[in-house]
Amino acid sequence: MVVQSDEELCRKVAEHDAAAFEALLGRHQARAFRLACSILGSEADARDVSQDAFIRLFESAGKFDGRSRFSTWFYRIVVNLCIDHKRRNKWWRRMVPFSNPDDDPDLPPVDPPSSEPGPEAAAIGAQAGRRLRVALEGLSPTQRAAVLLQTDEDLSGREIAEILECSESTARVHIHRALTHLKKTMKED
Amino acid sequence: MRQIHLQSELAPYLRGDLSAAERECVARHLEGCARCRADADAFAAMLKTVALESAAIPEPDWSDYRAELYRKIAARRAATHTPVHARWWSPRLAWTSIAAAGAAVGAIVLVLTLGPRPEPGGAPPVEQLAMEDAIGAADVGLLRDYPVVEHLDLLENYDVIEHLDELTPADTINEKRS
Repeated sequence: MVVQSDEELCRKVAEHDAAAFEALLGRHQARAFRLACSILGSEADARDVSQDAFIRLFESAGKFDGRSRFSTWFYRIVVNLCIDHKRRNKWWRRMVPFSNPDDDPDLPPVDPPSSEPGPEAAAIGAQAGRRLRVALEGLSPTQRAAVLLQTDEDLSGREIAEILECSESTARVHIHRALTHLKKTMKED
Repeated sequence: MRQIHLQSELAPYLRGDLSAAERECVARHLEGCARCRADADAFAAMLKTVALESAAIPEPDWSDYRAELYRKIAARRAATHTPVHARWWSPRLAWTSIAAAGAAVGAIVLVLTLGPRPEPGGAPPVEQLAMEDAIGAADVGLLRDYPVVEHLDLLENYDVIEHLDELTPADTINEKRS
């Protein structure tokens, strides 16, 4: 059986091929959700936003011109929707500060799903995770997207620049500023 | 001499994203710059932590996720294919209503400002005529009560009326008698 490329499948989605859409959904749902969750910091928001990205794909697959890779085009949709979502909810987040059940100092630390690390290592890991989430909150949506595209998707600077619709040097600056901020915030904590 | 640091090149350097020449340049700089070396180590640790944190994100139930997605797509398609007359409100309908209301207001203003106005010496307006008719009708009713009105035939001889000042009292009496 010949495996069709993402680009071929996208062209078929533009011709209203439901099976092609199903195939693309299967290939990219986990990555789209994880990327949205990393940028937004909320599983519920990530679910909505990543689904919105697939709705865009379903409705606008014809706009994919094939000049870039499908993944670049699709992650641009995901990232733009995440950035829009963050900006829309900015005023609300100022009123209701970012919170997580893990932030409550009275609650015991939640063990990670894996049983490999011991309780102490798990507690340290959970604490580091909390600190990192707080540090990530301080980044702009674009900086956060830039660093997560490198770490999660292992994309090159050129690909990140294409997704963020900026120059490669600007993408590098976004990543550098994000890492500097994370380093500083984690050190302060 | 002020040293130039290659800060924004560190992350691409760590990922192996630089050209051979750029990589060589950064490697040479790192050998001689403790500050950039410390930053490179910190950045490498940070990138690893972020990647681990992202990998730990729990995945949703994909069958639920897909079912919800297909419901959303179906709802959007249904909304897009609903005929305009079946919806009590639509943007097109709202704009048409606003445009029609605006046109109506404009027409009224136009009629009031440019429409025919009563001239100073012209015919009185309809309301004024109606009022005068009512007053006239009331006068006629009053006149009917005077006894002289019953003998108006006395005044029908206009020749006499025209020459009243020339008549002597005797002529008047004779005239009456004849």
